[in-house]
Amino acid sequence: MRDALRDPANQVSPRARSLWFAEAVIVTALLVGGLVLLSMWMTGWEFLPQWLLDRTWVVALVLGLLMVPFVLAEPVVRFAVHRWELAADVVYARSGWLSRKWVFVPVSRIQTVDKAQGWLERFFGLATVEIRTASYAGSSTIKGLDYEVAARLAEELSRRAQELRDDAT
Amino acid sequence: MSLPFHEPVPEAARLSPRLLLIDPIRVLPSLLVPLAGVLVAGGFSPRSFIWAAFGVAGSVLYAVVRWATFSYTITGGRLELSRAFIGRSTRVIPLERIRGVDVTTPFLHRLLGLAVLKLDTGAGGEKQEGELDGITVEEAERLRAVLLARHAGVTGAPGVAGQPLEQAAAAPRDHVFLRVPPAWLRYGPLSGAFLFTPFALVAGAVGLAFQWGGELGLDEDDAVAVGSWLWGHPLLLVGVAVALVVLMPFLGAAMYAVFNWNFVLFGRGDHLVAERGLINRRVVSLERRRIRGYEIAESPLERQAKVARLWAVVTGLGDSQTRGQLLPVAPRAAVGDIAAEAVGPFSEALRPHPPAARRRRLFRAIAPWLVLALVLYALGQTIIGIIATVLAVAGIALGLDRYRSLGHTYDGTRLSVRSGSLRRAQAVVERRAVVGWTIEQSWFQRRAGLVTVIAGVGAGSGGYKAIDAGETQAAAFAAEVTPEWMAPFLKR
Repeated sequence: MRDALRDPANQVSPRARSLWFAEAVIVTALLVGGLVLLSMWMTGWEFLPQWLLDRTWVVALVLGLLMVPFVLAEPVVRFAVHRWELAADVVYARSGWLSRKWVFVPVSRIQTVDKAQGWLERFFGLATVEIRTASYAGSSTIKGLDYEVAARLAEELSRRAQELRDDAT
Repeated sequence: MSLPFHEPVPEAARLSPRLLLIDPIRVLPSLLVPLAGVLVAGGFSPRSFIWAAFGVAGSVLYAVVRWATFSYTITGGRLELSRAFIGRSTRVIPLERIRGVDVTTPFLHRLLGLAVLKLDTGAGGEKQEGELDGITVEEAERLRAVLLARHAGVTGAPGVAGQPLEQAAAAPRDHVFLRVPPAWLRYGPLSGAFLFTPFALVAGAVGLAFQWGGELGLDEDDAVAVGSWLWGHPLLLVGVAVALVVLMPFLGAAMYAVFNWNFVLFGRGDHLVAERGLINRRVVSLERRRIRGYEIAESPLERQAKVARLWAVVTGLGDSQTRGQLLPVAPRAAVGDIAAEAVGPFSEALRPHPPAARRRRLFRAIAPWLVLALVLYALGQTIIGIIATVLAVAGIALGLDRYRSLGHTYDGTRLSVRSGSLRRAQAVVERRAVVGWTIEQSWFQRRAGLVTVIAGVGAGSGGYKAIDAGETQAAAFAAEVTPEWMAPFLKR
């Protein structure tokens, strides 16, 4: 898409990297923890080869090691990819990591604007702006914004949306 | 009550008392097993008959009370449905929120001249919508006219409120687009879905046997015994399977005919009305100013026979797959004519997607079966492996056809996208229905320089995809349809 579309103007907050890192660590910890529990139970699985039965914890270890590069890369890549912009009454947002997503939402078609903050986001002083239209494919979620920025954006969007509102869906 | 004097004083109406003849019959099947249980358990003693009679009387009484405590009123631009049974509840539906009225006549209702009227309020959730189950057909017609006339603003003129309603009620079919000839029913089984009717019937029977079996004292052991007995008679099993396969086209055709009997599409006022069905007559009204486009779908068999199916893309219509249907399986030429006449003409040729898209379609159609085949061979499961190999080979044709299906275009008013092979679907949607764009690119698509561009539409399925378009092509497409939104973000 590099030849077709320009990058959205604004980066998300640098603290979003910490948020994504924390989320990735939590998910990995849950996965590895689950596998550790499973490996305790696996000792009774006769059909597995003996060398694996003797040390079932290997499975959890291997998965944990495999996840390390992803956990380290995800925050960096996301920080480079996630960008947003409000120009000419259109919200333009890019997101993704292994896959990419570009969303264009004209303010005139916005139905609701929500500002959300989960407990981890609150810890890092971040917030998410959710923009909804009548269609899932015209709706956008901008994550990792600085709380102040998110509040201002949500405020401005709902004000402009009211001014421009046209019910042409 | 300070109603304007010219408006007729609203009177709360009830459902037709004839409903009382239907209601007990409808609850009978669910009552049958417990009743039989009571009789069997009581050894058919006089006492057990008394208990059974109590059960029947109770269900009749329940139906009477339900009927007596429900009423509906149209007053001050609102439809009020109130039920005062144990609790008291009133649902108020503002008339301007009613987007469509759907009248059906299930079999028993039809015998007694009754109908079910369903309101579409565009709220989406099932619970939000209103239903009047068991009014006379005439009342349904009258209500339909009143509810929809209000909405269209026909009664806007003050002082004559009563009159336009009467006129609207008598509004004739002002234009019949098409009355489907009986000969077209033969195309039905080509759509594929109805071919599985025999299997669906068997599955239903088995399900019912399990559900009732438990109450009649049969348990899992009996089921296992039946299963192993069948397993011991493979010829019987094969015979049943062959019979089911042979029955596929016939039962499928019969089922299709029952649902789509005497399909009529006509205009009435500012509505498009589709009527169909042999046993349950179903009438769906679609408000024309909410129609934003149409969708045409074809299976490979249907393409061979040059037939297709047609749906309208309507804003705020729940369950649009069944309710939006404009035509059953019909000749392609007729589908094109009706789509052009009822919705709008569209003849722009589709633009193909880049060759990289063909590689991706082929890979996705072949690779999974090939991998499966190799794994099966490695495990020594040769016979299933051969089946997987055959499917992989068939994937070549499927992948190529899927690529040929891909395309998108824009003619200045409507955009169109097409994809799929076993169900090739082309959507044609008005530009003004677009509420935004999403461009998606998976990791594999990025390697191939492709994207999927989705036009967000506040109607129909919500989004219409142009799958595996080129990167520049996709951005150019969105910019062509809505230049004012996309221009600031394009690279020159």
